[in-house]
Amino acid sequence: MPPTETPVCFHCGSALPAGATVMATLEGEPREFCCAGCETAARFILAQGLGGYYAFRAPSAPAPGRARDWSAFDRAEARRRYTHLRADGRSEVSLRVDGMHCAACAWLIERGLERLPGAQAAHVDVTGARVELAYDADRLPLSRVLATLEQLGFQPRPLAFGNADTGEDAQRRAALRRLGIAGIGMMQVMTYAGSLYAGAWHGMSPALEALFRWVSLLVATPVVTYAAAPFFLGAWRSLRAGTLGMDVPVALSIAAAYAASLWATVTGTGTVYFDSVVMFTFFLTLGRFVEQSVRQRAGERQEAVARLLPEAALRLLPDGGGERVLPEELAVGDLIRVRPGERAPADGEVVEGGSEFDESLLTGESAPRVKGAGATVAAGTLNLRNALDLRVTRSGQDTTLAAAARLLARARAERPGVAATADAVATWFVGGVLLIAAAVGVYWSLVDTPRAFPAVLAVLVVTCPCALSLATPAALAAAADRLAHAGVWVVRGRAVETLARTDAAVFDKTGTLTRGTPRLVRVELLAADAPPADAPDAERQRQHWLAIAAGMERRSEHPMARAFAEAAARDDVAHVRNVAGAGIAATVGGRSYRLGRAEFAAPGAFWRPRVSDDESLVVLGDATGPLAAFVLTDAVRADAAATLRALARRGLRVEIASGDRTEVVAAVAQRLGVDSAAGDLSPAEKLATVRRLQRQGRVVTVIGDGVNDAPVLAGADVSVAVGGGTDLAKVSADLVLLGDRLEPLADAVDVARRTMRIVRENLAWAVLYNAVAVPLAASGHLAPWLAALGMSASSLLVVCNALRLRARPAAAFASGCTTAPAVA
Amino acid sequence: MNILFLLIPLGLMVLAAMVAAFLWAVRRGQFEDMEQAAVRILLDEDRAP
Repeated sequence: MPPTETPVCFHCGSALPAGATVMATLEGEPREFCCAGCETAARFILAQGLGGYYAFRAPSAPAPGRARDWSAFDRAEARRRYTHLRADGRSEVSLRVDGMHCAACAWLIERGLERLPGAQAAHVDVTGARVELAYDADRLPLSRVLATLEQLGFQPRPLAFGNADTGEDAQRRAALRRLGIAGIGMMQVMTYAGSLYAGAWHGMSPALEALFRWVSLLVATPVVTYAAAPFFLGAWRSLRAGTLGMDVPVALSIAAAYAASLWATVTGTGTVYFDSVVMFTFFLTLGRFVEQSVRQRAGERQEAVARLLPEAALRLLPDGGGERVLPEELAVGDLIRVRPGERAPADGEVVEGGSEFDESLLTGESAPRVKGAGATVAAGTLNLRNALDLRVTRSGQDTTLAAAARLLARARAERPGVAATADAVATWFVGGVLLIAAAVGVYWSLVDTPRAFPAVLAVLVVTCPCALSLATPAALAAAADRLAHAGVWVVRGRAVETLARTDAAVFDKTGTLTRGTPRLVRVELLAADAPPADAPDAERQRQHWLAIAAGMERRSEHPMARAFAEAAARDDVAHVRNVAGAGIAATVGGRSYRLGRAEFAAPGAFWRPRVSDDESLVVLGDATGPLAAFVLTDAVRADAAATLRALARRGLRVEIASGDRTEVVAAVAQRLGVDSAAGDLSPAEKLATVRRLQRQGRVVTVIGDGVNDAPVLAGADVSVAVGGGTDLAKVSADLVLLGDRLEPLADAVDVARRTMRIVRENLAWAVLYNAVAVPLAASGHLAPWLAALGMSASSLLVVCNALRLRARPAAAFASGCTTAPAVA
Repeated sequence: MNILFLLIPLGLMVLAAMVAAFLWAVRRGQFEDMEQAAVRILLDEDRAP
């Protein structure tokens, strides 16, 4: 099946909305854009001579956001907080930049920033969503840097200087150093060991053998003391905590084998086990490194809740003026103004004015709340209507938002994981190994003392808990890596285990199955003298009314206005008046129009538009009556139906639980072919849906987007957040779907199931291997070098088995089509 | 086989150089981003603004 050719936006690569696109001729080529914002971004990029970006980037770019006011970042306070003055007089700033996803994005940002006057060097890290910039703070204001990034189509945010990030970086580098040292050391020691083994068969001069031993000791020492240090620390920590972790036998065997080899080398007697020591260290370090880096990368994606706060607050001064300050600078008692479309920067009490606030973030309530004088407004909630003044009651870490975030973090920490089971198993396994080793030691020292140490060491080394301590994390990490390529971030590695067993999926609707933002579906002509819908003139008229409506909506911050953001707009709009709860009145080209609810735009008109349950209506009218109606809907994602079918085919029971109106939910459910759907649910009721399924013995996956899903996500066995959702939701989810597609979810279930099959295979192998090897080692029939060889071969086998997960079917990438492989 | 008494210490020196180079590369952050470097060469400023 050939991939279908759908027209896409030149800049952001998203599908073009029907009927409402922006055409522009750039560098002699006609280009189509989904919205004016994308067109502006593309023009800016080309004007900078950075058109190479379009040739080499991955298929989609971020859609540019609204231009914001960054001036607060030029204040001295902001400078102190976010930038660092270097010894050479340059300043450094660290930015988190969302929307980067490929090397071309990095190139675009580096070039774009380095062209700014005063900029010195920009360093971009795509995986960490980080940009470091060195610049001359006197010539280049920080606000210009931020505005430039925004113009390029990314979402920047400065990071407070010297926060925890650097700690994580240092940790990663230390792990990398350890891995490198262990790897290089292993390669060397193995060649020496090969020579020693060859020498043992064919004869070797004692002097040469001593040389090889001493050189091996020299190389193995840093491996043991530096690369293997975390195992000793881990063992020590787990012993102090009174448990037997995986690190205990690892540390014991490394230490014992190294000490024995050291003794043998110095005295020139016995056997050396340097090869076993370094091999063991390297493989364990590698397993941990892979697991750690995958986890860290995922963790970087969950930035703090602070991102829900606005970049700047408008503080009112006693003289009536205002100044832009950082939300962190606000103190209790400050007077601030929150304009429509902005989020409140702190908790406060309304002093003057009245408006509606979207509190869905904190309460899950999607209907706006009316706030008059004296009402309290929580930080992070969105002002939908009018500007109003607040007196700050709580700011910074004391706000309701910060408290909610802390609560979520704690709930997450307390959630029991499968990790506990693995640890418990490990404790028994380790205890068993130590007991056997002790028994073997006692037995042989009574029967044949010289054979005691090699036998004990052989037992410790041969019983590599590799399937548990190495292969399982490696399999989980490989699965995470494989999923990351498919567009799914595994935030918690253990989620894969549960996802494999899941047999029920509960979807939220808004923002999950649907896009979460209204889109214009069609324009209906209502004027008395309007031509019939299919007349040639009709399309022109539709465009005419749409341009007027779009021009008026540009002045509005109402959520509905976003549906018009993509349309070409008139800019001769004047006398704009927002009427709360009704709509907007303005003059366009000298004529006055009203736009909004039918009763407001065309009062007295006896006319009912035909819309289905999941559509809503915005009417444009003037003194003569209604002129046009714009039908909006929260469009269902293109791949939602295919994804739900794919999940059903995999034996999952699919349900929809939404806080939206029941009729709307039913309409969407019918379109998607889902039998079981419920609307009008509070978060508690959604959670009850999950609990009901769990009581039926099902393992439930919850897929949601907003923060209002957080309690539901936390109650699920596996939680999935859709990338478009806010960051807080990501924080509380086990998996995050990147991008705008649901499709990777079905793939994720497959990968998870394959992962668990591989883990089971590895465990089965480990049982078999240990069952054969331990008796051999205990009875003294296994030399430690053979034990190490066996252990390494076994480790390699299970790790390679685990790494099979990284392979992905090429077909999934070649065909960009969204349908499941039913025809394959 | 006596040459080994020279070659192996020589090898050790190479090894030390290797470790030093590796540590230097880690400190310079050369392993931070493994994907960008491969594509970088394709992106060229062939047109001045």
